[in-house]
Amino acid sequence: MPFRQKLKAIVLPFTVLSWLILLISTLLQASPEAAARVGLPPEWVTLLAQAAFVAGVFIYQRSQPDPLRGTDFVGLLRRLVLGPGVLATVCVALHLAERLIQYEHPTTDRLLFAGIYTINLALFVIFLAYTNYSWRSLVLFRSTARLRRDWLWFEVLLGTTLLFRLFAWTPPMPVAYFIMGGLAVFGVYLSGNQKWVAYLNRRQKWEVVFLQLALLLCLGIFTIYFLRIAKDPKLVAPEPQHAFLLLTVFFASFYSLAGLLVTFFNLPTAGVFEQKREEILSLQRLTQLIQKGQSEEEVYQMLFEAAIQTVEADAAWLDIETEGELHMAQRFNVSEEHVQAIRVLLTDYNLGQIEYLNNDLPNSSGFRNLELPYGSLIVMPMRSAKRQYGSLYMLKEQRQGFDRENLGMLQTFTSQTVLSIENLQLVAASIQNERVKEELKIASSVQDSLIPKDLPIDNWFEIGSHALAAKEVGGDFYDFLHLPGKRLAILIGDVSGKGITAAFHMAQMKGIFHALMQENPLAKNEREKFPVPSKFMAMANQALTHCLEKSSFITAALYIVDYEHGGFVFARAGHCHTLYYHSIKEEVSYFRTAGLGLGIIRNDSYEKHIKNQFYDYNPGDVMVIYTDGIVEARGAGQEEYGEERLKQQLEHTYYLEADEIKQHILDDLNEFSKGQPMHDDQTLLVIKFKAAQPEATN
Amino acid sequence: MKINQQTTENTLTLSLDGELDASSSVLLDSELTKPEVLDYKKVLIDCQRLNYISSAGLGVFISHLQRFQDANVKLVFFNMQEKVHNVFEILGLDALMTIVPSEAEATAL
Repeated sequence: MPFRQKLKAIVLPFTVLSWLILLISTLLQASPEAAARVGLPPEWVTLLAQAAFVAGVFIYQRSQPDPLRGTDFVGLLRRLVLGPGVLATVCVALHLAERLIQYEHPTTDRLLFAGIYTINLALFVIFLAYTNYSWRSLVLFRSTARLRRDWLWFEVLLGTTLLFRLFAWTPPMPVAYFIMGGLAVFGVYLSGNQKWVAYLNRRQKWEVVFLQLALLLCLGIFTIYFLRIAKDPKLVAPEPQHAFLLLTVFFASFYSLAGLLVTFFNLPTAGVFEQKREEILSLQRLTQLIQKGQSEEEVYQMLFEAAIQTVEADAAWLDIETEGELHMAQRFNVSEEHVQAIRVLLTDYNLGQIEYLNNDLPNSSGFRNLELPYGSLIVMPMRSAKRQYGSLYMLKEQRQGFDRENLGMLQTFTSQTVLSIENLQLVAASIQNERVKEELKIASSVQDSLIPKDLPIDNWFEIGSHALAAKEVGGDFYDFLHLPGKRLAILIGDVSGKGITAAFHMAQMKGIFHALMQENPLAKNEREKFPVPSKFMAMANQALTHCLEKSSFITAALYIVDYEHGGFVFARAGHCHTLYYHSIKEEVSYFRTAGLGLGIIRNDSYEKHIKNQFYDYNPGDVMVIYTDGIVEARGAGQEEYGEERLKQQLEHTYYLEADEIKQHILDDLNEFSKGQPMHDDQTLLVIKFKAAQPEATN
Repeated sequence: MKINQQTTENTLTLSLDGELDASSSVLLDSELTKPEVLDYKKVLIDCQRLNYISSAGLGVFISHLQRFQDANVKLVFFNMQEKVHNVFEILGLDALMTIVPSEAEATAL
């Protein structure tokens, strides 16, 4: 602060100068010979110098930085005693030296006496200024704006008393008493601000008591010196600024005394305060530590240690419940036998799971017989709304060892612990969740690889395909397989249910498809080399019997297209009806054939429920095969898309390319189910038969 | 989904009300799994208010089909809505299960 710096720079030489003037004028007064030579200075010069010096010292001290650093109250007092305290020693030493010289060489010369007096006055003023501004720091510690304003008034009023002497005005007696008394009361009022004492611990309080005593001693030494001096016949100097100094001394001593008493009377409660403080600190520490705890064991250990430290338990243990089993996670100073005995007893009394405080074990039935070396016991269960985590047991050797506050503190500890444990579990769960998601993603990509990417290409037909799973993995499937002799097998199907189980069965179906569609080397004739669709379904049903759970089933349809002869054969095992455009009849219709889903009947009788259907196609015919996710897609009013609307779509688009037809249907479907969640996997295949074209012209 | 029960000496009638989807089929399954169900000669399923049946719902009936047959308990559906019947038909269940138009016919069986 430049102003403060500037002020200090001016005040310091000014103060020193005033003191020198004071010294010279005092010396002159003490030595008539010298005065005769230079002339006696007028009294007002001495008085002015005195007042200026006092004001200068106080102003200089005021402009010093706050002596209180943080909450180091003891440090402040120590500096106060060690620094200005030394001044008091110097004062005493000077005085004694003067006396000694007097004794050795008695003289009537007042010069030495006057000199020492002036030096001591300066020391006293510096001491008072230092003390006052140290007190200011303590009074204003965490103060309100009002208190700061009051202090300022106190300073201003004290300052005015300096002027009394300066103008050589002595107020009439009652007024003087009133002014002095009023200011003294003001000082007493300010002395009530001893907030800082509360921040001391026991050891610091003791220290403060001794420091305050030392300080009072210093003040006493100065005061006694000046009181004695006042009666000394050798004193020729004008009286010091009595009103001001008296008030300052009074305030300094009173504040010191009040502080001493407050600290002293706070000593017995210091232990309790400290314990409370320790409790709060350990709770805080626990909270911070626990959040750093990486594992449940770490968290429990922190709880255990903090709890023992806080309630000052002589012995303790911690039981943790995992999957209904109780085991001891932590033990301190207590034998296994005692733990077991107490546990059994508490279980007998049905006290194992509740908060329990027994402060007189030797006189409680049950515990008495155990002959435990303990007098008090706390049981603190750890539980959340969901479950029980275990219990914390604290033991103390003396009776009446615990109080209600201990119980409350432990309660806070345990609930904090439970919170942390649950947090850890949540984190673990979310990591697990992430892993499952990651695995689902893998499953999804694996399944994706099972869906044929390269559609069979031939100039006899076109295929458009679409597959979309409602979840990461689905139960829909389709596949193609080229058979010898210009034949193509097309399989489509749907596993009941969704998700992972469905995905597994879907993969299984694909395996069954590839396994069964192998050329049978034992076949007697061409027809039996590959199973006809109905036979395939019967064999698939047989294969699925043992691995499909009871309430699951699979719908499928297998088409074997013989594009050399322009016909196909298919069997429908409970799958959606095939939608077909007959180019000759110019008509769209469903092949409504009978056929039972796979896995519904799990014996040989299944074969009776599945039939082959033969059809000779014509170029331009369109076959639409799909899963129920298409026709059962929901619209805004929860109505289903339905077979009829699908049929209409084909009626409008049969003349287009297979891919375009597929796209038209999908666009219409998406328009229909706009804004609705996808309930089921959707698969759509459009196959358009074309006139055979010689390969050469391709 | 609501399931109402009505019993006579030989007949247990379950009236299904709402949509039989994955979650409600669990409810139906626990009803049908009760051992006392097999004490009746006939179990009638009233499908008048059944608006939708998912594959999980069908799965429940399928999984109990064999058990009912073995215990010689007839499982009869009646009052089935067109679209629900269509689902049974597509899967081929109409050939395995007894589905009749009305309650009168169901009780007469």
